[in-house]
Amino acid sequence: MLAIIHARLEQISRVAVWIGGAALMAAAFMVTVDVLCRKFIGITMSGSDEYSGYVFSATTTWAYSFCLLHRSNVRIDALYSLLPRPVAACLDVVGCILLLYYMSIMTYYAGIAFIDSYENNSVSITTLATPQWIPQLAWFVGLVLFLVTLVFVTLYTLLALLQRNWELVGRIAGVPSIADVIEEETHGQDVVLATGETLDRTK
Amino acid sequence: MAIGILIGLLVLVLSAVPVAAVLGILSFVLDEIAMDGRLTAALAEIYWEKSKEFILVAVPMFILLGEIMLRAGIARRMYGAVIQWLSWLPGGLMHANIGSCAIFAASSGSSVATAATVGTVAYPEIEQRNYNERLFLGSLAAGGTLGILVPPSINLIIYGLLTDTSVPELYLAGIFPGLCLSALFMLSIIGACLYRPSWGGSKIETNWGDRIRSLPHLLPPIVLFVAVVGSIYGGIATPTEAASIGVMVALIIAASFKTLSFKMLRDAFEGTMRTTAMIMLIVFAAIFLNFVLGFMGITQAMLEFIAAMGLTPVQTIYLIVVFYLLLGMFMETLSMMLTTIPIVFPIVMKLGVPEFSDVWFGILITVLMEAALITPPIGVNLYVVQGIRTRGGKFNDVAIGAIPFVIAMLAMIVILISWPQLATWLPNLVYH
Repeated sequence: MLAIIHARLEQISRVAVWIGGAALMAAAFMVTVDVLCRKFIGITMSGSDEYSGYVFSATTTWAYSFCLLHRSNVRIDALYSLLPRPVAACLDVVGCILLLYYMSIMTYYAGIAFIDSYENNSVSITTLATPQWIPQLAWFVGLVLFLVTLVFVTLYTLLALLQRNWELVGRIAGVPSIADVIEEETHGQDVVLATGETLDRTK
Repeated sequence: MAIGILIGLLVLVLSAVPVAAVLGILSFVLDEIAMDGRLTAALAEIYWEKSKEFILVAVPMFILLGEIMLRAGIARRMYGAVIQWLSWLPGGLMHANIGSCAIFAASSGSSVATAATVGTVAYPEIEQRNYNERLFLGSLAAGGTLGILVPPSINLIIYGLLTDTSVPELYLAGIFPGLCLSALFMLSIIGACLYRPSWGGSKIETNWGDRIRSLPHLLPPIVLFVAVVGSIYGGIATPTEAASIGVMVALIIAASFKTLSFKMLRDAFEGTMRTTAMIMLIVFAAIFLNFVLGFMGITQAMLEFIAAMGLTPVQTIYLIVVFYLLLGMFMETLSMMLTTIPIVFPIVMKLGVPEFSDVWFGILITVLMEAALITPPIGVNLYVVQGIRTRGGKFNDVAIGAIPFVIAMLAMIVILISWPQLATWLPNLVYH
């Protein structure tokens, strides 16, 4: 059951990341057209900078869940990597709980900021006068998705810890091994690992 | 009190608590002590205001650009071309390792991806051509670090953001030190191979015909570099705009190599968003911490503490260098920058030495971060190179092999402190 929810959350966060990436590429296109028009035709289409700022703020929060589920949040493992697995598993759970604490305060105030903007009809101080609640909603939704994921991951690891399933805790929330890190950074493109695996699944 | 906070912080960091949570909780605690928790209410506002800043958009753009280039399939052909041009030097392919890493990193920006990709292409040559394995592995680990110094560099954007320093100026300032450090790496290889010629492997035949024919393989990264860096200095684009143009150019390059596909883009998006989220989660936490620290006057206390030590400016700089070298052995680079620069930067600015400018210090810090990537026990690039050794071996081989390159970096640091103009000359020429 929990494993299914975990997989479902992973799928959702993956789709969120695809949308985010596509939006970012669209923003890159928009900004490039803007620059070329300004340089060669002499037309300034203001607004691409403001919009890409919104795209950035929203897509970043949308990607937090994916980052968490792929265990990519930055942790200092100088001592961690020397510890026996059960102790490290406890630290994994503690890490989740503290991150949850920080992010729930963040999300709470982000919710207030969004409601304020909506009720006061705040607009950006640019020629576009964008109502702030629209991009803020997208930004806030990403934070909520992250919070939901964090609550789930915390409970899941806590349960696995109580069952003394250290290996499962590590797989959900542990600091990834160097092979995992290389795969995440390169997607296996052109990389062969010491274990002889080619990481590239397409080959 | 301060000691208590420091111990608490150390415990959290060593317990591998996510760095974002450490920074966030530290901010809450400090805010509670100094301002009765009033600043925390501004947490989300600060986040929102900073997160739509146009300069920050450059970060995911440069990451996306690197992710696309990584998948465009240029690594092997480029390495082949660099071999033609550099392997006549004593040390042969090891120079191609440095050169390829420098070129690859200039478009990729991730030191892990650079070391892993170039490393995989280069690794089989150790056995085939009888290289000294340690030195060869060291050259891969060290070469990978060049990515954060040679523009476009994500680290320099983060530094610029934290210290209000112009990113275009930082990029210009990184060019000469980047070339100089590459040259120092190569000198280390030449020195080692003159001392022990057997380390340099068997000779590689090259000729001018092949060299000329290999040039088209070097074209993609050069075109990209010119499009990005050229548009900044041609006055056409800001760094964020240049990064956006770079994304478009990278797509065209991938299309011309017939590697552009729906799946490839999806992979690139996943990689980009994951890295962006990883960086931004701690960047925003650090920005809030700086905001709280600003209210508390911690920086002022630090300045008085340093002033009381009665050191000369150069001594103070060397003290900072030693601090970063030690910290770099144990800490990951981005967290190290985000947590320390807000306190260390004002100290450097207060020294009152015009040559030790904000731009100069950005370059010095970046070289120190490069050293952190290859100093054990925690040096990410060492682990990456160890990770691609298909024939296995001790981790110590990589760490020992990296020593000559750490020495080259230390030399670079001394050069930067003795002749700050190496970094500041070019930006001053263009901007002042």
